[in-house]
Amino acid sequence: MNRFAFTNCDTLDQALSALTPGAELKAGGTDVLDRMKERISAPEKLVNIRNIQALRGIDESSTGLRIGPLMTLGEIAEHPAIQKNYTALANAAAHAATPQIRNMGTIGGNLVQRPRCWYFRSADYDCRRKGGETCYAQIGDNEYHAIFHNSICAIVHPSSTAVPLMALGGSLDVASSDGKRTIPLETFFLLPEQNWTRENILRPGEIITAINVPKPASTARSAYQKWAEREGTDWAIADAGVVLDMDGDTCRKAAIVVGAAAPAPLRMHEAEVMLAGKPITEETARAAGKAAMVKASPLTHNAYKIPMFEVAIYRTILLTAGKMGPDPSAVGGRA
Amino acid sequence: MSKDTEKAPEQVSKHGLARRGFLKGAGIGAAGASVLDGVNLFAKEVAKSSDAPTVGPGRVPISLHINGKPYRLLIEPSTTLADALRYELGLTGTKVVCDRGSCSACTVMLDKMPVCSCMMLAVDVENRKITTIEGLAQNGELHPVQAAFVEHDALQCGFCTPGMVISCVALLERNPNPTLADVKLATSGNICRCGTYPKVFDATLAAAGAKRA
Amino acid sequence: MLMKFVDDSKENVPKRSESLIVGIKGDDMHQAQVQIPTEEPPPLPENDRLKAIGKRATRWDGNLKVSGSGKYTADIRLPGMLYAQMVDATVPHAKVVSIDTTEAEKMPGVKAVHVVEHVLGNAQLRDPKQELPSKYPIVRYAGQPVAAVAAVSPQLARAAALKVKVKYAPLPFVVDRDDARKHDAPLVYPGPADQAGTAGGGGGPKNVPQVGNVHGPAEHKVGYIDEGFSDAAEVVEARYITQVQTHSALETHGVVADWKPDVLTVYASTQGTSTVRDELAYVFSLPKNKVRVITEYMGGGFGAKFGAGNFGVVATHLSKKAGAPVWLMLDRQQEHLSVGNRPDSDQSLKIGAKKDGTLSAIQLVSYGTAGCGTGAGCSGPAINMYKCPNVHTQEYDVFINGGPAASFRAPGHPQGCFALEQSIDELAEKLGMDPLDFRDKNDEFEPRRVERRIGRAKFGWDQRRKAGSDPGPVKRGMGVAQAVWYRIIHMDSAAEVRVHQDGSVELMSGVQDIGGGIKTVLAQVVAEEFGLTPKDISIRIGDTQYPSGPPSGGSCTTASITPAARNAAYQAKLAFLRSVAPALNVSSDDLVLQDGHVRSKSDSSKSWTFKRAAAKMRTSEIAARADRVPDYKNVGRRLNYGGVHFIEISVDTEMGHIHVERALAVQDCGRPMNPLHLESQINGGVLQGISYALYENRILDKQKGLMVNPNFDFYKVIGAQETPKIEIHVIENYLGLSSTDAGGIGEPSTMATAAAIANAFYNATGVRMRRTPMTPAAVLETLGKVRSVTA
Repeated sequence: MNRFAFTNCDTLDQALSALTPGAELKAGGTDVLDRMKERISAPEKLVNIRNIQALRGIDESSTGLRIGPLMTLGEIAEHPAIQKNYTALANAAAHAATPQIRNMGTIGGNLVQRPRCWYFRSADYDCRRKGGETCYAQIGDNEYHAIFHNSICAIVHPSSTAVPLMALGGSLDVASSDGKRTIPLETFFLLPEQNWTRENILRPGEIITAINVPKPASTARSAYQKWAEREGTDWAIADAGVVLDMDGDTCRKAAIVVGAAAPAPLRMHEAEVMLAGKPITEETARAAGKAAMVKASPLTHNAYKIPMFEVAIYRTILLTAGKMGPDPSAVGGRA
Repeated sequence: MSKDTEKAPEQVSKHGLARRGFLKGAGIGAAGASVLDGVNLFAKEVAKSSDAPTVGPGRVPISLHINGKPYRLLIEPSTTLADALRYELGLTGTKVVCDRGSCSACTVMLDKMPVCSCMMLAVDVENRKITTIEGLAQNGELHPVQAAFVEHDALQCGFCTPGMVISCVALLERNPNPTLADVKLATSGNICRCGTYPKVFDATLAAAGAKRA
Repeated sequence: MLMKFVDDSKENVPKRSESLIVGIKGDDMHQAQVQIPTEEPPPLPENDRLKAIGKRATRWDGNLKVSGSGKYTADIRLPGMLYAQMVDATVPHAKVVSIDTTEAEKMPGVKAVHVVEHVLGNAQLRDPKQELPSKYPIVRYAGQPVAAVAAVSPQLARAAALKVKVKYAPLPFVVDRDDARKHDAPLVYPGPADQAGTAGGGGGPKNVPQVGNVHGPAEHKVGYIDEGFSDAAEVVEARYITQVQTHSALETHGVVADWKPDVLTVYASTQGTSTVRDELAYVFSLPKNKVRVITEYMGGGFGAKFGAGNFGVVATHLSKKAGAPVWLMLDRQQEHLSVGNRPDSDQSLKIGAKKDGTLSAIQLVSYGTAGCGTGAGCSGPAINMYKCPNVHTQEYDVFINGGPAASFRAPGHPQGCFALEQSIDELAEKLGMDPLDFRDKNDEFEPRRVERRIGRAKFGWDQRRKAGSDPGPVKRGMGVAQAVWYRIIHMDSAAEVRVHQDGSVELMSGVQDIGGGIKTVLAQVVAEEFGLTPKDISIRIGDTQYPSGPPSGGSCTTASITPAARNAAYQAKLAFLRSVAPALNVSSDDLVLQDGHVRSKSDSSKSWTFKRAAAKMRTSEIAARADRVPDYKNVGRRLNYGGVHFIEISVDTEMGHIHVERALAVQDCGRPMNPLHLESQINGGVLQGISYALYENRILDKQKGLMVNPNFDFYKVIGAQETPKIEIHVIENYLGLSSTDAGGIGEPSTMATAAAIANAFYNATGVRMRRTPMTPAAVLETLGKVRSVTA
């Protein structure tokens, strides 16, 4: 880890003025310290926002949920209102990383953490995302990599909370010294075709100030499931967040987002279209899973993800609709 | 830890990074002298009174509250809590195994919450109550979880044990009646290469039972 | 590691006849008359009749370990101590052109720099003249130590190490076993090379043929393999692939070296205090009495921690140069890269049996890579598990530009079992036999026969259904597999027992506790002799200043050291009784030690507490030292260890996920000394086996030759959530071989697990899983659910 100056902020204004070129934000610190230890990041200054009380808090109202970005994953996972009305988000937070990291890592940090691709995380690989010429995952060890949008850079986006948040139609409030804006999560993340050195459209000097989730319709239900090699602590090899707005047995509208499939959380429009106006059954759910994977373009070692996602989507649709229990093969599924 | 005190510089910041009563010698062994050029005893001049203070990259004085005792030391902001405990304060019960937050061997309690001390900066945990493995026994009596670990042989080489014990103590603090699934979840980040998990489960459930009784 | 097998019959010492307990409790246990050396203590009865041995004594140093006060090597802090950081090769194969340390040396706080002159652990060319001319050692794997710096803090040492500038002239490299076997593959060594059999263990056969990177075969032949197959009514033949596993002990390798003119003191995280001492004495041309190695606590080794290692030699050089103690612990990445691993394997196994179910032929050809070392052979199970008249094995090592392997908990055997035990099941099915019945027919080892019988009943084996019975996507199945390991005794096993006038008793030995709990067991042995409790005995071990202790490897520790400890305790007890008898007015022959008392056998009114009696000692201390005597003459038992694992799994055939539902391990280890510790070690054996079968995999990237997962994030070790219910049953298998009759459990408890999981996978799905790790990717591919993609 390089030596650095440290600015401890109590207010958002302090943080915004401290966030000068060469500085990096630190909230929970679990991502930035890892990058610094791996020597792929070497900020001159860390701007510590972890103690800014104004960026904490969970507020549930009739219009929706407003979450302070410094709330830890553990706090979100255990929040009764989120567990009840935004179950998919609570589940995603509950199954990220380890209990210890969930007590440190914040939801804001979870959304903007850098990828876990082993070529990106190694100082020995001057990969394309770090400004180099090559994406080593293309012909390298790519078993955990993207099956969509992977021809330029094959990372998968590491955030599990982004998956349900996007499915639930969430948005981010961000601030900079120039002002404020609100960004729907749908447009927040970048694919390599847009920019292969950044994962989102946050500008230098901008800080997330709130995560908003609109209140789902009373007829809507949501679920999230994650699959990994290990059953406890592990990175997703597939995860799925589903929101179904139901009219009796018929699906009025579906939002289906997958993680660990692409360099950004990805909406599965083909699958959503297949469900609209149809009853949720084993057949329709399976068909949706299949439809979602039609355009997948796997690499040398990750074609196994295609059948996995087909099933992940189908099972999560049925779970959402209450027609199947939580998947025992999913992370935490046996708890 | 060295005890040679020096008159404190005046409080330099309302934000608490440097404070009254700072002990200059703390944490600097004989070897530290050669790197004192980097020491930053006072917070940098700040441009506006509303700006947050910036310290480092040289050494900064901090105080930590560990196992009910105050400790004052001089460290660079890049020092992790784990390194401060192990190298500055001689509290070597906390182990560092992966140094990346993946194995939880370095778990300490921060205000009763288990966290990885290897992924936490020491400058960032001032004013927080830190409990390490050394702080669990009271008046020479092992904590019930520690006693249960011995009774059930929930340890082999013992290197994951401090972190594992802390995870289980933290669990019982917030859930005195855990199920097996709760214990598994609470220890799901703690890697034990000797494979002692089944006995960790037994020990923790037994400790919970003993505490209830 | 040097293991000496000594046949008692060759020892010309006075003998007496004794009746010893022999056989398996609940099966064929009986008394047998054996000639044992006259000096030996009386034989122990079965465990039920003992007070301390065989009981569930809690860990002797448990309180210190749970309170964080046991000092491991990583925790040693000495006055003026410096911290060192290694500089490692960042390329897999290269000639080092230059090493510039000036910038590092100039940094304030840097006290010493050392450039590595000779690399330990790699194979050595048979003809050193074939080596490329080079000032520095040729780099043969990324992570090979190049230099090191010592500074006043770990942070400074890390920063200074980054300032050491190493220039490489890269050489073509190969990091994949299959690629390395090709005729045009880059050569790891320019000529035939062998891995020296160092204190580091491991090493493979010497002076076998070598073509390109392929070193071997080492052959084993019994009978006539062709005849064996022509006799066979059924033959199965298949190829099995296993991965490289790293030891991943939680405490990394490392030392604190303190070079002083009179003595070099080294705190080491090692499985062999004596082997570290011997290697350092050799490298630094010091007499052994000028080197002291201390291992009070150590955080796991699993076979990789025997020698001084490059880090130990480097730390000693740095200490010598700086005139200060030097702490050098590897970081996690270095631990994965440079200090050992379990080789992978590509095994072609063909076995045949006659119509009546007797094995007629076993033929194994194996290729495996031990990196730039050797020792990937895995034919142990094929040769030693079953009775078979015709066996032919050929083992090849394949050099790649990867870190050298080291012995790893039952070297070669998890791989070998994975292939053999699946083939045995497959053959049983072809013959229409139950897998356990088929093993009963071909396995002559008595303990395993008993273990299968116990396991069959306890596990509910007879409820096992035919393969692929479940109609849904989640399929359950049961599998069994068994282990074979060998009785290894290290004769450099000695102990001293002291009794003090205040009634305190202590034992000293150089042996180290690597987590198995030998401290507890030694305390039990001494306590048994003195009629005290284990907590009454002080155990001082892990220091070469004490009587020599065995290196802890190959499940030899308990079998080697406990007889020496008992004999020392016995001699000390006799001396103690002789010393106090006059003052107590009783003949020493009439005294016994029991329940913390000294009692007269003939007059029950004469009884003193041990403490009161000790006060009557004529000197302040009574001591006795004993060495390991050779094993007694074998009364005809097979001197192996067995072990049978039963596993039930469920396979989610749509997600490729395997969940281990439950496990049963039925094991033998001679006389069980401490069931509590045995259970712990067997839990660990099973869980390491599951971890190997399902999760762990060292991945080397072919583009740059670097390991992409040198961490605990993507090098995946089993955790709490994956831990199934494990049931353990340890049989008492008395062999009548020593004054404690103890054996070992470390190796036998891990090798069968992966094979049992694979057999359960077949029972669940009807499809054979012939590769590890059985990740969702591997499972879905094996089940034919993945369309293949080519680059």
